Amino acid sequence: MSNTTPATPSVIERRDPLTQSQGVEQGYDQTFKRWPSQPLQRRPLTASELSGPADLTRRLEPVRGDLAGYGDKRAIGQLIHLRTRVVDEDGAPVPGAVVEIWHCNAAGRYIHPNDSHGAPVDPNFYGAARLVAGDSGLVELRTIKPAAYPVPDAAGWWRPPHVHFSVWGRVWLSRLVTQMFFPGDPLNEADAILNAIRDPEARARCIARLAPTHQGPQGALVYDYQIVVRGRRATSSLP
Amino acid sequence: MKRLVPSGEMTLGPFFPREFAQGAFDLTSVGGRKAEGEIIEVRGRVVQLDGTGLDNAVLEIWQADHQGRFDNPGFFGWGRAATDGDGNYLFKTILPGAPRGRAPHINFLILYSGLMRQLQTVMFFSDAEDPVLHAVQPAALRRKLVASKDGNSYRFDIRLRGDGETPFFDD
Repeated sequence: MSNTTPATPSVIERRDPLTQSQGVEQGYDQTFKRWPSQPLQRRPLTASELSGPADLTRRLEPVRGDLAGYGDKRAIGQLIHLRTRVVDEDGAPVPGAVVEIWHCNAAGRYIHPNDSHGAPVDPNFYGAARLVAGDSGLVELRTIKPAAYPVPDAAGWWRPPHVHFSVWGRVWLSRLVTQMFFPGDPLNEADAILNAIRDPEARARCIARLAPTHQGPQGALVYDYQIVVRGRRATSSLP
Repeated sequence: MKRLVPSGEMTLGPFFPREFAQGAFDLTSVGGRKAEGEIIEVRGRVVQLDGTGLDNAVLEIWQADHQGRFDNPGFFGWGRAATDGDGNYLFKTILPGAPRGRAPHINFLILYSGLMRQLQTVMFFSDAEDPVLHAVQPAALRRKLVASKDGNSYRFDIRLRGDGETPFFDD
């Protein structure tokens, strides 16, 4: 048995073009300035791409398990509880997966200094957390629902409320950065980013599911969301 | 077993928290333990179609240790840096050794507003025999993946789109 990372070899299969953006997207002008004009290169995969850091928390420590706060430090906005499960393509949980989550406040403003949107800052809201998945691949975050906001210089494009996710799977090529959307928001229909996923079923999986309201902690709406990172176990040699 | 479809990638957006983007650019130690090997700097500039440097673009790297191994507990081969207002980034790391069947190299991925998917590329230290470098077509593009050296500092500029575009990989 080799001592390489990970212990179980992962297989990475080609992406399905219907379930992934193809790079340049109508209505999203920056993709025309930044996505390569040349076709992407094919390469053989070696141990370099099919390994990855074991225990990323050695370099990235967990920060802020709760973004909503309590009492007079409570952030303004509708309280939500995000239950996100990280699994691989076999459906197996990815325990120890590091998950970064960030989103704007209930007025549509990010904490980032580059956000010049005129919406107010909420002194009790700092919209960035880094969490580590438990044995079942679950990460939970208590926060407030982000607002929609207009994209600067984008001819009336409003981003629907969404939550950014940055996730590490088992190997370098499992890395995933994506966004989670809320069910039933009319802006979802026209969003250039969500609709870059052409396959309707794949797109629907980018939208969280509202859990029955009696199930959650008091005062919060619970949203369930599943993230599938690339990679499955190498085929077993057993019959 | 039924295969689940990987989640759709989406852009990092322009507002990736600065505290996340910064602070992981130095791979020369982990948990207070210094890595073995020759310390090097890797720096460069990330530009878009019109040549403008990109602010707050995020680069992540993954590399072998000084002996070409990916499983050395004394070296943590993953790091992350963000570009400054002019598009410049910097990593401090260890000169990687040659993994089995490969030339020394550093894997890069780039995340940014306007990139709906992560862009994967690889930095090499010389125009060496390597199956990934030699997969790049046409062959004249390969030199764009070879860093220029100045002492113990290596320069690897990345042009996302336009004349002199960096080759990127689809896996």
